[in-house]
Amino acid sequence: MPHDITLLGAYVPVLLALFFAGIVLSWVLDRILGYIGWYRLVWHPSLFRVSLFVCIFGALGLTVYR
Amino acid sequence: MSTVAPPVSGWRGVWRMLANDWTVSEGPAWLHVGKTLCAALLTLWLAMRLELEQPRTAMLTVFIVMQPQSGAVLAKSFYRIGGTVIGCIITVILVGLFPQDHVWFLLAMSCWMAFCTAGATRNRNFRSYGFVLAGYTAALIGIPSMDQPNAVFDSAVTRLTEVSLGILVSTVVSAVIFPQHVASKIPQFVRGRFASFVEFIAGSLSGRIDRAGIEASNLRFVSDVIGLEAARSMGVFESPEVRLRSARLSQFNHDFMAVSTRLHALHQTLNRLRAKTDLGERRQAQSVLTAFEPYLREIAPCLSPIEAPVLQASDAHAAARRLADYRVTLPVRVAQTRADLSEQLNTQSCTQPIRQAALLDFDTAAELFYRFVDELHVYTETYASLAEAQSKHAVSGRPYVPKTGLLVSTVSGLRAVLALGLMCFFWYAVAWPAGALATIFAGVGCAIAATSPNPFRTAYQLSIGALIALPAGALVNFVLAPQVDGFPLLASILTPFLIGGLYLSTRPGIGGVGVGFLLFFGFGAVPDNPIHYDPIGYFNNMIGITAGNFAAAAAFGLLLPPTSGWWLKRIVYDLRQLAVKACVGPRWRIVHSFESASRDLMHQAGALIEDKPDAQKVALSWMFVTLEIGHAMIELRTETAALVDSAEFARDHRWALPLYDARDELAKLFENPCIEYRRSALAAIKRAIDHVQQKAGATELAPLMQDTSPLPADAASSARLEPAFGGTAPPLPLRQRQRLLRIVSYLHFMRSALLDPMTPLPGGSEFREFPLGVADAA
Repeated sequence: MPHDITLLGAYVPVLLALFFAGIVLSWVLDRILGYIGWYRLVWHPSLFRVSLFVCIFGALGLTVYR
Repeated sequence: MSTVAPPVSGWRGVWRMLANDWTVSEGPAWLHVGKTLCAALLTLWLAMRLELEQPRTAMLTVFIVMQPQSGAVLAKSFYRIGGTVIGCIITVILVGLFPQDHVWFLLAMSCWMAFCTAGATRNRNFRSYGFVLAGYTAALIGIPSMDQPNAVFDSAVTRLTEVSLGILVSTVVSAVIFPQHVASKIPQFVRGRFASFVEFIAGSLSGRIDRAGIEASNLRFVSDVIGLEAARSMGVFESPEVRLRSARLSQFNHDFMAVSTRLHALHQTLNRLRAKTDLGERRQAQSVLTAFEPYLREIAPCLSPIEAPVLQASDAHAAARRLADYRVTLPVRVAQTRADLSEQLNTQSCTQPIRQAALLDFDTAAELFYRFVDELHVYTETYASLAEAQSKHAVSGRPYVPKTGLLVSTVSGLRAVLALGLMCFFWYAVAWPAGALATIFAGVGCAIAATSPNPFRTAYQLSIGALIALPAGALVNFVLAPQVDGFPLLASILTPFLIGGLYLSTRPGIGGVGVGFLLFFGFGAVPDNPIHYDPIGYFNNMIGITAGNFAAAAAFGLLLPPTSGWWLKRIVYDLRQLAVKACVGPRWRIVHSFESASRDLMHQAGALIEDKPDAQKVALSWMFVTLEIGHAMIELRTETAALVDSAEFARDHRWALPLYDARDELAKLFENPCIEYRRSALAAIKRAIDHVQQKAGATELAPLMQDTSPLPADAASSARLEPAFGGTAPPLPLRQRQRLLRIVSYLHFMRSALLDPMTPLPGGSEFREFPLGVADAA
């Protein structure tokens, strides 16, 4: 994948776009996990959510920089 | 070691006790200080590492966003990012529209800031934060770069990057390191509120609580409603459990307002009966009370009996069932009591009107009581549904949104425009090099202070903070910073100042000084990337900032200061307008907003007059009379509308004319309270009561119950009703007649509210209605 994309004539790093994609993805996943009651089994829900986002964003980032 | 209260022995015991005390009282504040410091330094390091132009912007963001509760940080961050993005876009547009045209640009910028300040005043939840940010981001980027239109896009992007970095770090730090969840406190809060409400019901219905106690409790209920709503709006950001229950929590609040209004009305009715001094009516009032009192004592045991108290949401199911069972038995029993009372009144030697008035009192109390039980049942059910993560419990209420009145918001916007305009004028007139910063910070000060309940105090404290930051920043910049090298040493010289400021900001009452110090110390002392060593520039800028802040404080102190009384008058006016709307406004809209809007106004009044008990009393009594009249009026209109639509009344609309007349008279009274209108409203209500009673036929017999009242009661009473009609006119269906009698009870309630000696309406306790005979003749 290219490292930059053009948005309205300005160069924008693909990572930024992936960051937002990661937010959307983890938001959806978070909703689902919350609905099925997963967070009641987790020791530190906020830490879990942050880590989940880091994992998702990292995985997406690997598609660009590998 | 025993498990019960360890004995304090020797030094170790004393130390342990002191340590425990400290963790409870000071612990949370210091935890907040530590977390904020950690987030601020981490942000600063990252910003330096990423070579952002102004690392201080990122760090200042941390100070602004950080809150003791994680949910508050998330909510604030969300709106802050939104506000910053909008502010950046507006700046680019404004600079593009007026390149190098100072007058027009500054004019447009002032208007934008005024709009944002007004928005920040109008919205009193986290959304206000978005407005503040949208306003001052525009000023912060736009004004310094108005001469270089080409640079504005870059500086907007840089600013956005810095702000986002600060937000990201503070969010993660506050959520991950010792998170303090609002969400975890909500169940406890809800439980406490339910328990105290049960207690209040028991106390107020038995007449144990006096008026001062009722006032205090109602004020507490108002702040409870607002507090739960705030907790809910933060909780949805931090916990999936709260998010699942969000709608039901709103509903819980909504039901609570409904049931507490009803309780208040019932309580007022009973109190007015108790307070009847007229010798002719006193005995009858006493008999009504005696007949009614057994019911009042049944509620508390039914709700939370001593052998099975409702301690948490899951226990409430049983209570809701008990209430439902109890409600089913009510109509038959009340009908019986009424018949007994009627007989008892017959034996007493009193005139027919007095006897009828006593029965009307009983009917009114019975109707209020029945509705109270019904609403209490709904409230308890909502409470019970909170125990489950998912529930099919019906939710109808809309979330309650705190809003400030339009006039007050407009004034606050105009004040900002004036402060900014004067500052700009001064800047241009004396060609002051730091004028730009002074203008910017006058705007920033107006915007930040506009969100607080006492803006003048906040703006003033911010300026004091700026004043302290001036020498502190100089010390760091020109004495300490030149001697250190590298980030760890820079952090170590900043830390003592930051801890001091942070600790100050956690102190209630003087928090503004701490915030001001942090913001302006951060602005002055944290080096740019790369570092500039510029003492003259520093002093110029800091003096400009301080002057700007004082200008904002002066604007709040001099231009229609919010605490000077006009705002309170406005709130009372808005309360009255609410009653007017309840009378003549669109019905479907007022039904939803009436309860929360009146609480919201009361809350605003409460924040304004914390230290003035007299003013508080006046505002409260207006809230009570608005709630009583408005609520009864809304119900009256609902019943009337249902009747007008029904088959029996569709042919002839004129029957409702006296009702409309009473409604209009009441609207007139609340629009413009004066003794004549109060008299004419009372007369109109009296006419309406007579008219509707006549329409309903035998007032003698029917009990007043709701539509949901079970059929056995209808059957029982209709069996006894039949002879009353005597076959002359075609009898109305029982349901419609009950509706009419309910209308009478609401009218009667409004009448007694207008006659209450404690009312703030003109005339006060000296007020005398015309003698009954005169009113009839008129």
